[in-house]
Amino acid sequence: MSRRVMVVDDSRLVRVQLEDALKGTDYEVTAYCRSGEEAIEQYAAAAPDLVTMDIIMQGMDGLDAAEAILKDHPDARIVMVSSLAYDDTFERAKAIGARGFVDKPFHREQLLKVFGEALS
Amino acid sequence: MNTAITQEELAQILDQALQEVTECTAGVRLHQGDQPPGEDLCTVHITFDKGFSTSLTLCADKALLARMARNSFHEDAVTAEDLEEFSKEYLNVLCGKVTGAMFRATKIPAHFGQPVFYHGRYEPEGQEVQFILTYSDEHREGAQLIHHVPSANSPDENTGGVI
Repeated sequence: MSRRVMVVDDSRLVRVQLEDALKGTDYEVTAYCRSGEEAIEQYAAAAPDLVTMDIIMQGMDGLDAAEAILKDHPDARIVMVSSLAYDDTFERAKAIGARGFVDKPFHREQLLKVFGEALS
Repeated sequence: MNTAITQEELAQILDQALQEVTECTAGVRLHQGDQPPGEDLCTVHITFDKGFSTSLTLCADKALLARMARNSFHEDAVTAEDLEEFSKEYLNVLCGKVTGAMFRATKIPAHFGQPVFYHGRYEPEGQEVQFILTYSDEHREGAQLIHHVPSANSPDENTGGVI
């Protein structure tokens, strides 16, 4: 049975890249949200095993959206997928309770490794 | 960017980020040269709103951006919407890489806003060009990455106009 992935990113390109990277794996993109607000609204219905969350988006940023989802769903597994990969952001993501961080542009191996760790 | 690093170091950071992001995102290799983009071009612009009072502008031949977008979307043809979406995400990732490298060099956490896309050339008002990196690919299509800093005699406003 495949693991359900919810992609939260305002760029459709990232969804395409993630779907491409996850082909032939146990992961399947089953939900796609273009904003943090949409992700909060859809999380319960989508019931994903894993969420990939961009940081810079229109409206609420991904760190705030992740925090809001984790407040209502403490077991949510959220991996930040962002180009803003530096200490300041890492620390805030970790403090919020994100399970991992993938640096854009991402490589398939790196992505699968972080996904595996986030679900372990 | 107004930090302790030199303009040459910043240009090197921008160049490394652009080469890496372009190849990884779009499978295209760009090399620095002296051929600017032609008349049919697009511009994407990002303003840094925390950490650095600067902006980055990418002007590129529409044909180059379209090819990069096709490669990224794995499509034979892309729509105008795809082109805009690709261009914005491309500069977004590029700026993220630059921000990370700048943080490692200066310990200043920066933040940048949403990318803005224009058909044609865009020059931000109240800012002046500090330097330009010019690139082309094997199809002789060109791109320019332009680093702007606030003009000495202008208010720090993030406005501009398409020309």
